[in-house]
Amino acid sequence: MSWWHRTDWLTRAGLLCLAVLVLGTVVATVFGIGGDPEAMVGPRLAPPGGDYPLGTDQLGRSMLPRLFEGIGTTLLLSTVAVLVTAVIATLLGIAAGYWGGWLGEVVMRLVEVLYSFPTIVLAILVAAVVGPGQTATVCSIILITIPLMTRLVRAAAIIVAQRDYVTSAVISGAGWPRILFRHVLPNISGTIAVQGTYALSVGILVEGGLSFLGFGVQPPQSSLGALIQQGSTYLIAAPWLVIVPGIVLVVAILAINVFGDGLRDSLEPREARSLV
Amino acid sequence: MRLFSWWLRRALSAVVTLFLVSILIFAASRLMPGGFAEVVLGPFASPEQKAEVSARYGLDQNILVQYWLWLTTALTGDFGISMISGEPVTTEFGLRLPVTAELTVAGFAAAICLGVPLGVYTAVRAGRGRTAAVGRLASGLGVSVPEFVLGSIVVFLFSRFALGLTVGGYVPLSEDPGQNLRSMVLPAAVLSVFVIAVTARTTRDAVLTVLVEPYITAAIARGESPWFIVTRHVLRNASIPVVTVLSTITAYLLGGAVIIEYLFNLPGVGSYIVQAVGRRDYAVVQAGVLLAAVVFIVLNTLTDAAAGALDPRFGTGSKARRSR
Repeated sequence: MSWWHRTDWLTRAGLLCLAVLVLGTVVATVFGIGGDPEAMVGPRLAPPGGDYPLGTDQLGRSMLPRLFEGIGTTLLLSTVAVLVTAVIATLLGIAAGYWGGWLGEVVMRLVEVLYSFPTIVLAILVAAVVGPGQTATVCSIILITIPLMTRLVRAAAIIVAQRDYVTSAVISGAGWPRILFRHVLPNISGTIAVQGTYALSVGILVEGGLSFLGFGVQPPQSSLGALIQQGSTYLIAAPWLVIVPGIVLVVAILAINVFGDGLRDSLEPREARSLV
Repeated sequence: MRLFSWWLRRALSAVVTLFLVSILIFAASRLMPGGFAEVVLGPFASPEQKAEVSARYGLDQNILVQYWLWLTTALTGDFGISMISGEPVTTEFGLRLPVTAELTVAGFAAAICLGVPLGVYTAVRAGRGRTAAVGRLASGLGVSVPEFVLGSIVVFLFSRFALGLTVGGYVPLSEDPGQNLRSMVLPAAVLSVFVIAVTARTTRDAVLTVLVEPYITAAIARGESPWFIVTRHVLRNASIPVVTVLSTITAYLLGGAVIIEYLFNLPGVGSYIVQAVGRRDYAVVQAGVLLAAVVFIVLNTLTDAAAGALDPRFGTGSKARRSR
């Protein structure tokens, strides 16, 4: 039975939602649905309807293509950052978990150092050092998501390293690259996938927060956080500028979280019991 | 003796971590492009003026000397003066601590009074199935609404439709308690949504794990009432993840709820640090981040100690653990 059959409707709904967001954005970008996101075509702050399905912003740019561009930017930056995190955290976590000793000690100490920074302050420091923008966003997401993922990969690797199949591989003379990549890595891939999913939702949150404070993606490029930040100035006059990207942001994070929960439950099935 | 050596080991590792944090934060604050002199004097200052300002604050010395001076004075509790206001950094943080403390107390109270019971209730009521999925969706929604989205919407609703609570207009608690509460209710509520959802999720998970243990089966077989089982067996055995998440939340709130403070225009610790980053007010940035790290590490250590007390097998190197 594949993991898909062990998931419930909520998990599938989450995955479906994500697929729709990604495909919709790709299609809209490729076919240029809604026109040029940076063209100032309409009246300023026009409400949704007519030629501008989602209204226009303070410069008369149509919100529909800007929203698509924003979803694309946010998802792309978060995904790139989380992929980097996954690779680094997996290497560090496996090394620290399998070998332990002074190597494990050094890795855990570095992780602890990153962990003790308040998240948004860490992101803003990064933005101050490398300059606000996409690089700062990706770097902050990486630095914020690495500690937790490294810890959990290490914890999983410690357990796997004590399994009999690893011991027998060691006895039969397998070298460490073979043991790590043939025996340890496949058996902790579930942890990596689940944590990667959660890291993706954290990444989207960080992108949003950083852009909301003005240190993330810079205009005229749009991202979900940047759209909300720009819209919040005109909140009273044009609430749709915040509400629409806000809803999309919430749906994206919710879909990812729900999918992550379902993935975890299907990879590590547990018994359950109702007390009442 | 064993407990003592555990504390000693933890204290040593905390010192090492803090030392590394101090290096990182010092390096980061000096790597920011555009130094203090440029920010303070503006773009038209002559090199002589910049050199003079730098010399006045000791910024022309060797970077290692600067680090050493900062570290040694910080160890005596003196974090220097804010280069913008000229006041001691500790005084500046003291002014902003009440806001952060109020938000922390409110968030912590919400987590304990609402998050924990909600988590226990949903776990006990529903194992799996449709009701469980609804519970998952609801708590998932709470974790998935970013503060700046919920906050923006709340600001919009309350400023558009005069709903009785003020947005912004912070007044210190000591000046006018009534007005202070009126201005703090909304930020505290926005903050609490996330905090409650995280606590409820963790609690629910922990309780679900405990509920399938054999001793719960035995308790049910003995005919104990659900209330008795929950208060007597479940809560204590599910408490370690809950205590951990509560301490993480507290550390996060004490580090400053930057976005909430920004949205509701509250003079708290978090927005002060962010402001200081923008002004290159090095002493404030360094002290702020270092203190946040101290809070985080202290809370972390206390949590591990509490976990050891709640479950003797856990962490503190007790006999039970060693004999396994």
